[in-house]
Amino acid sequence: MKVDDAVPNEFSYPGLGEIFITNTRKFINKVLSWGRANSLWPLTFGTSCCAIEMMVYGATKVDADRLGNLFIGDSPRQADMIFVSGTITKKMARRLLTVYQQMPAPKYVVAVGACNISGGLFWDSYNVIDGIDRIMPVDVYIPGCPPRPEQFLDAVKVLQKLINENKTRGGVYGPREI
Amino acid sequence: MGEIELNIGPVHPATHGVLRLKARVEKDTVLGGDVEIGYLHRAMEKIAEQRLFNSFFPNVDKLEYVSALNWEILYASVLEKALGIDIPPRAKYIRVILAEIQRIMSHLIFIGAFGQDLGNITVFTWALRERELLMDIVEKISGGRLAPMYLRVGGTEYDLPEGFDSMILPVLDRLEEKVNKDYKAVTYENSLFKMRTKGVGVLTRDTVKKYGITGPNMRASGIERDLRRSEPYFVYDSLDFDIPVEDAGDSYARFMVRIREIQESIKILRQAVRALPKGNYINKQPWMFKIPPTEAFVRQECPRGEGAMFLVTDGGMKAYRLKIRSPSFYTVQAMPEIIKGARVADLFTIIASLDPVMGEVDR
Amino acid sequence: MDLERFRERFGDKVKIDKNILTLADKKDLIRVVKFVSKYFDVLYMLIVVHRPPKFELNYIFSRYQDQEIIQIKVEISDKENIASISNIFKSAEWEEREAYDMFGIVFRDHPDLRRILLPEDWPGHPMRKDFVVTEEIKHWTGLDLKF
Repeated sequence: MKVDDAVPNEFSYPGLGEIFITNTRKFINKVLSWGRANSLWPLTFGTSCCAIEMMVYGATKVDADRLGNLFIGDSPRQADMIFVSGTITKKMARRLLTVYQQMPAPKYVVAVGACNISGGLFWDSYNVIDGIDRIMPVDVYIPGCPPRPEQFLDAVKVLQKLINENKTRGGVYGPREI
Repeated sequence: MGEIELNIGPVHPATHGVLRLKARVEKDTVLGGDVEIGYLHRAMEKIAEQRLFNSFFPNVDKLEYVSALNWEILYASVLEKALGIDIPPRAKYIRVILAEIQRIMSHLIFIGAFGQDLGNITVFTWALRERELLMDIVEKISGGRLAPMYLRVGGTEYDLPEGFDSMILPVLDRLEEKVNKDYKAVTYENSLFKMRTKGVGVLTRDTVKKYGITGPNMRASGIERDLRRSEPYFVYDSLDFDIPVEDAGDSYARFMVRIREIQESIKILRQAVRALPKGNYINKQPWMFKIPPTEAFVRQECPRGEGAMFLVTDGGMKAYRLKIRSPSFYTVQAMPEIIKGARVADLFTIIASLDPVMGEVDR
Repeated sequence: MDLERFRERFGDKVKIDKNILTLADKKDLIRVVKFVSKYFDVLYMLIVVHRPPKFELNYIFSRYQDQEIIQIKVEISDKENIASISNIFKSAEWEEREAYDMFGIVFRDHPDLRRILLPEDWPGHPMRKDFVVTEEIKHWTGLDLKF
């Protein structure tokens, strides 16, 4: 009777070394996710009306600083996530994709407003993209035209939950398939 | 050594929208440049030929998204002129009140964004805090904060809520106190601010007349013209207000003209709220209607200049051609000539003081 | 404003109706606009209406002292071109570029005629009446444009 220890369907008890390594790996991932979720720095990007509500979200009545969302990232090399707010036209699509590719991984995308979910009010226009999930992977959608500033707080909370459970679309290894 | 081309690209910290400026620079002076627009062209004029007349109202108030009700009033006026109907007097007073509230809100965002471009974050947070008080009033009237779709052909959709004067008069008192006292020390009587804006970006009278610039930029260069005074529409000929004019033509003068316009609008609001008559607020029309073949042309004073609309109809239920004239289009056309001879660090002061909004340049 | 001086100067090449002047022939445009530039300051709007197979151009001029305006109408056919007035009124440069971009009208002697609102390799001129927005145009993302 031979014991085949390379067969993948066989059940074999893990040794002490394996238990130690797996638990340490889980603990380190938890600490890194906690660090990433609580200090998300967005890139200041806004084209039209939803950008005005994003300015109000960054001011003092609805405070973005209380969740760690500081609007310091003027350069894409120092930003973690991007709020895509405002209508994206066909002339602007290439520039948005270039800015997205310049951000270092892990990076997250939030689509703000009805124009970015499915075209919105301009669904039958010849120059507007109907939904930006045709060109990049999106994690959270915020409906509204324009949405209230308090909805931005809700979206960041949902994104933090997704990061802690490791279910985002863009992640540590870059974007998965669309 | 030579000149280089500096590209101030469409992705900008989000205050003035998507504008691309290619400036030619030698050592520290700007020699000229080229402006490229069209990154927000959403095809409003083609959509106007595909929707019914009443279904186009939500699209019109995304044109100048910081003061949406002014353009809704203009579109409703051009439809009423083509149909040939009249509106009741209470509706005229309500439209004047809403237009002046939105003018104050647009100038407050100008103060905030101008301060932020100069590095003055204090006045940015103060101006947005004052704007929230007025936005609460607009939300109680119409239900929407930035995009109130409140106007209809012949009047407005709902009446003003009860107790409107006790809602708005304390807000006006607080606004007047803040603009006259608190903003002085941080902006217009601060010596650092004066050093950075006096003599920067001078706009002469010949340039204004060559390019057709209107609005507060024109009044800061010495020309006295306001459509509310020379061609009065609604009830402006029975209200008492002044027109602020400055002579210097630089960025400081453009800032001061807008501060004085806030004070004049507060005066107009107090008179209009006291003189509001009772009665009907709408001259009701059916939801789908046809307009016989005519042409109609209306122009009004928007916060950035003179806006106009031209409508051509052919007897159906949709417009045949609608053309929108926006005042910021002509300001942006004149930009390469205004920035000649300035320093590179002053470029953002000049762009912020001209106050363009890209939603109405590109339509 | 009294439009009688136009009738004295140009005879029966123009037709007057309230404050709208209709030109019979597009070759007189430059002479009429030079006469207008003595009384008016700036080109206010340029409106192009496509009534197939003709284009109708409306020029609206205004001035700064008071509130007078004047409107001039010219008709050209689909395949002709017309002279540009940007040497007389400088604010007509960008308006004529937009008319070329949206409708395909070519203006002779314009200093810099190229597209302004759409990228330079966009196919077609969209505001014509024979340009219909199909499903394929709505779903096209525009990532293969070069400009």
